[in-house]
Amino acid sequence: MSLWVDQYRPRSLDDLHYHQGLSARLRSLAASGDFPHMLFYGPSGAGKKTRIACTLKELFGPGVEKIKIDQRIFLTPSKRKLEVNLVQSNFHIEITPSETGNYDRIVIQELLKEIAQTQQVDLNAKQRFKVVIINEADSLSRDAQAALRRTMEKYMSNMRIILCANSTSRLIAPIRSRCLLMRVAAPDSDAMGTVLDYVARRVGFDLPPDVAGQIVEDAAGNMRKALLVLEALKMQSPDLSGNLSIAKPDWETYCHKVADLIVQEQTPARVMEVRAKFYELLSHCIPPTVILKTVAERVVERVDEALKADIMHWAAFYEVRMRVGSKKIFHLEAWVVKVMSLYKQFFYGMDLTGFD
Amino acid sequence: MSGKVIAKDIRNFFGPPGGQKAKQRSSQPQAGSSQRSLKNDPIEISDDEKRSAPAPNRVELRANCSPSPPKPQRAHGKSKATNARGLLKPSDRMDEDDIQLRRASGMKRPKAILSSDDDDDDEIKPPPTKKKATARAPPKPTTATSKSSDDDDIVKPPPTKKKATARAPTTSRLSDEEDEEAKPPPTKKKAAPKPRQSIAKSKDTDDYEDTPDDKLVTKKAAPLAKPSKATTKAPTQPSTKQEDADEPPKKKPNWYAMKAAKLAGPSAPGSKQVPEAASEDCLAGLCFVFTGELSSFSRDEAIEIAKRFGGRVVGQPSGKTNYIVLGDNAGPSKLAAIKKHGLKCLSEDEFLDLIATRKGPGNGKGYDEKTKKKMEKEQADIKKAAKEIEAREKEAQKSGSSSTFGSSSNAPNIENQLWTTRYAPQTLKEICGNKGQVEKLQQWLTDWFVLLKSGFKKPGKNGMNIFRAVLITGPPGIGKTTSAHLCAKLAGFTPIELNASDARSKKLVENGMNINNKSLDGYLANSVDGHSATNSAGVAITDRSCLIMDEVDGMSAGDRGGVGAMNALIKKTKIPIICIANDKGAQKLKPLQHTTFSLSFRKPDAAAVRSRILTIAYKEKMKVPANVVDQLVQGAQSDIRQVINMLSTWKRSSDTMDFDEGKSMVKMNEKYAILTPFDVTQKMLGPYLFSHTARETLGDKMELYFHDHSFTPLFIQENYLKTQPARIRSLQGPEQILKHLDLMDRAASSISDGDLVDALIHGPEQHWSLMPLHAVCSAVRPASFLYGQGAGYGGPNAMSFPQWLGQNSKQNKLNRQLTDVQVRMRLKVSGDKSEIRQSYLPALFPHIVGPLIDDGSAAVDEVIERMDEYYLSKEDWDTVVELGVDQNKDELVLKKIPAATKTAFTRKYNAAEHPIPFHKAFDLGKVPKKLAASGPAPDIEDAFDLDDEVAEASDDDKEDKSADDITKDKLVKVAKKKKSAPANGGGKGRGKKAAS
Repeated sequence: MSLWVDQYRPRSLDDLHYHQGLSARLRSLAASGDFPHMLFYGPSGAGKKTRIACTLKELFGPGVEKIKIDQRIFLTPSKRKLEVNLVQSNFHIEITPSETGNYDRIVIQELLKEIAQTQQVDLNAKQRFKVVIINEADSLSRDAQAALRRTMEKYMSNMRIILCANSTSRLIAPIRSRCLLMRVAAPDSDAMGTVLDYVARRVGFDLPPDVAGQIVEDAAGNMRKALLVLEALKMQSPDLSGNLSIAKPDWETYCHKVADLIVQEQTPARVMEVRAKFYELLSHCIPPTVILKTVAERVVERVDEALKADIMHWAAFYEVRMRVGSKKIFHLEAWVVKVMSLYKQFFYGMDLTGFD
Repeated sequence: MSGKVIAKDIRNFFGPPGGQKAKQRSSQPQAGSSQRSLKNDPIEISDDEKRSAPAPNRVELRANCSPSPPKPQRAHGKSKATNARGLLKPSDRMDEDDIQLRRASGMKRPKAILSSDDDDDDEIKPPPTKKKATARAPPKPTTATSKSSDDDDIVKPPPTKKKATARAPTTSRLSDEEDEEAKPPPTKKKAAPKPRQSIAKSKDTDDYEDTPDDKLVTKKAAPLAKPSKATTKAPTQPSTKQEDADEPPKKKPNWYAMKAAKLAGPSAPGSKQVPEAASEDCLAGLCFVFTGELSSFSRDEAIEIAKRFGGRVVGQPSGKTNYIVLGDNAGPSKLAAIKKHGLKCLSEDEFLDLIATRKGPGNGKGYDEKTKKKMEKEQADIKKAAKEIEAREKEAQKSGSSSTFGSSSNAPNIENQLWTTRYAPQTLKEICGNKGQVEKLQQWLTDWFVLLKSGFKKPGKNGMNIFRAVLITGPPGIGKTTSAHLCAKLAGFTPIELNASDARSKKLVENGMNINNKSLDGYLANSVDGHSATNSAGVAITDRSCLIMDEVDGMSAGDRGGVGAMNALIKKTKIPIICIANDKGAQKLKPLQHTTFSLSFRKPDAAAVRSRILTIAYKEKMKVPANVVDQLVQGAQSDIRQVINMLSTWKRSSDTMDFDEGKSMVKMNEKYAILTPFDVTQKMLGPYLFSHTARETLGDKMELYFHDHSFTPLFIQENYLKTQPARIRSLQGPEQILKHLDLMDRAASSISDGDLVDALIHGPEQHWSLMPLHAVCSAVRPASFLYGQGAGYGGPNAMSFPQWLGQNSKQNKLNRQLTDVQVRMRLKVSGDKSEIRQSYLPALFPHIVGPLIDDGSAAVDEVIERMDEYYLSKEDWDTVVELGVDQNKDELVLKKIPAATKTAFTRKYNAAEHPIPFHKAFDLGKVPKKLAASGPAPDIEDAFDLDDEVAEASDDDKEDKSADDITKDKLVKVAKKKKSAPANGGGKGRGKKAAS
């Protein structure tokens, strides 16, 4: 008994509930025999991976669903061993190079060459090429992306690459231009409602529309989240009636606590307290950008109208720095101090921007 | 605005009405702030240098403006000032304008006087006349010196004068003005005119009319009013003090002014200047203790001032202390001590006044009888010692010349010898410090033959007499080698020295010393060329030899086995062996610890070295005051050799050395010490480095970062919020809070900048040349905003080790574990790592952890089933728990699960077989050793081994069981089959279990 979200995942392009145009396009591409490199992008929970899996099935038949995991060892020039997990079927291979951090270039170079230089041996295969899926392509380092460029052209006869990313902004232009861009947008609320209904029917209960609406609103376009919430709610109150409150995930409530701390008091001691909480969140694998976003949204909810724009401005400012820099906490803290300073200035009605 | 300020300034300058001064002082910072706020530099290093830099001008201004106020008795001063102004070149005038502007902006430099930067000095050669005028003019001591020194920064008059004035006090030889360039520029303080020297000065070849002026001055100074402040020993020497008859009335207002200034508002840091001293040694014979925070001088500076004028500074108050200089926030223990001893306390101003008013004892006249006698005796001793040396040298010369009459080659002319050789101690009493140790050594050597005869059985009174060797340890330059040689010679031994320049391997030590007595060297050599047996040092070994193994800790890789061989030698030696090393605890010296008697030499204190150095100086006809010698000794960390070398170098260019020259000399020869990140942080965030009184340049501050460039930024980031910033001390209420937040904001954003720079440095392009920028952004600049008290050792806000390191490695570890979880779940779940963490884990939590909390052991089966569904192992379960935050924090969760449930869970999990998605590479023998150990490795392996062998059974069971659930899913079946296949093959390697 998997979670519903996994159990009722669509397995072919026909089963997909939304973005029908996109599905049709993928189907025709798969049938054409001239399958390009592709870049799927869109927010998480929109169905990128699901679509990729469906497309592969369309390309190769059910054989692609026989997947296994393999672990490969790569040796860096400095003799450091890197473990890379591969998910593969006979027809495709899926890698997440960003697992290896700065060494992703080596993985790309070695692995792709190796795959590209071997031809498809299964004579019954529908296609002559293999597919390489690169997950989290937007966190590939520039070196790795550069390594990808030429490979994508040179080994076109043996291999197609499908990149999967949240946004294209961090992919270099040469990569983007070599791919067919597939935007998988977050489903709108109607589509989500349909999916929720479908799942509920499959499970065997009726989903009250108001609950569905509530879930859809909470999930904000993240289908995965919506389904997980649905299951959690169903567990919480089997008849889905009464006053349902959607439980926030642990990290989100924690972020909200941090935001409250910031608004309550603006002192150095409080900054250090907040810093400790940030460390806690970061070390527990919550991405810093998510932290910043969640906290900032919560802070904005709780401050005066006049401050909102500034706070968001600085959140954006420090988010960029966070991506460029290496020690995220420094930027998070700088933002917190900035917010505290702004808040206090507003509180006392003084603007000390030019104060020395 | 500027005009007004100047006018005020001038009034202030000549007439000392305190109220005005106070007002002005308090008003200045504000003016400054308003002005400064206009500037909006992107990266602004706002330490106080910026502020202080333009400051000298103010003084200059005053000097130039001095004519304007109609004060009759200053007539001479005025004329001089005009004179000086006349000398200014046009460019200087422009400077003046500039100055006025800056002056208007309220920037001022606290005490240009004290810091004699070399570069400043190079350019600065103000006309003495002017200096004199200004310096003389003010009745108020505090401003006087500042003026003269500040002039220096701007005015570049003919060079000679300054030299003249500067030299005047210390030396009588004024004639050598021509070689000024060679001499280090005399510093301002010295330059501050000494009225007494005016006659000497007048000899100078200046074409200024200072001669008459000087006379005037001296005349006027004669009827000098004595400062009532002058204390116990206040001497009554008629010296040329500038204070005229109107002194007593002047003093009172002065005090009120100070008080008013204090009450009026913020203590103005850096506002006070060291007054022109009443006499060169005005504090001589006094003992000071500084405590608390002075408002305008840093502690170091204050101590230096006291020392400069001959005072003695000690750390703790005692009965012998003459004065306590009490600042703000003095420590309670010191206050208690003050009370106990009934000591006299001075404020900073009083202290300065003391300098300005107290007559030094002059040439011994002012001292009481005892001190005088003591000083005379000291003087006599020095002379005697110098004579001794001279006599000895003459003798040596004579005997040398006579003995080497035929072979002229190897009698080194004594004049050509290094001073360290020439003035090496020849008698025991010439050795500085470590008397006890030297005596012990001497005694041991003297007793050697007795000991040898008795077989080293009786320990003797030092316990030394059972050893055949001595190990002398101590820092360099304190006379270890010298003492060893001297003692050996005096005890009648011939020292044979082997040092690091000789090879000292096992073989050489054994053969060279003839330990094993295997060599016929002696016999043959004897018969062939008439030489006696020699060792590797080329000196005959007799029973009167003494082996000195110098630099034992320098026995390096090339001297393999050397220490061991020497130890063997020591065990049966018939001649005394003295080993010398720097570091007592060195690993290499371990073998020697039991066979040698350890003598630790300590650094002699300044007093012990002083008379020796003074003797040498006297012998060399150098004029070096005692306080300068003390400074040299202290700066060289009691390294006598270095001090002598410094002096001999100095002698090449000059015969005198004053305080500031000494200081720069010490600075040049400074030994470089690496500070720990803790010290660096404390220094940076501490109240002194960026205070108005600090003298460190930006370069010095950046240098601190480079003591440990990787840790310093982390330490700063960790601790920068723990201070009570000095910048907001004077503010109150909301303003203070806002300002504090503002400073924090700027510091934090600067740290953020620093991280960006760091990313460039450590990124793929490795721009290491950006390190100075990183130093500024990540350390200097944040500290410049938030420096202050508080972030020290101990206390509620104690400095702490950066959390970042621990948190970062924790993050890496959990990240790795999360990767494992994600990979295992990958067969079922499409999400990436962060999706797993953010969506799945919270969703899974009620399924795989919650039941254990709520239902206890009853839920174990359900939980295990769910885990198997996602291929999660027990380790992954731990990870899931560990990754929780807030209410799901692992500690809380684990506390909520009863221990019985936990054990039941573990037992049950281990008892059953579980599907595994894949084998980790290291389980299959591909990688012998995992690089980063995570979790209890043996357990995992055991578990997997079991899995491998018996997996099918349970899998099959489960397949049947779950068949109805996932009948639609053909893939699952395929996977199961596939999985069982390799398992049958006996773990043939690629045992990938596939499922979808």
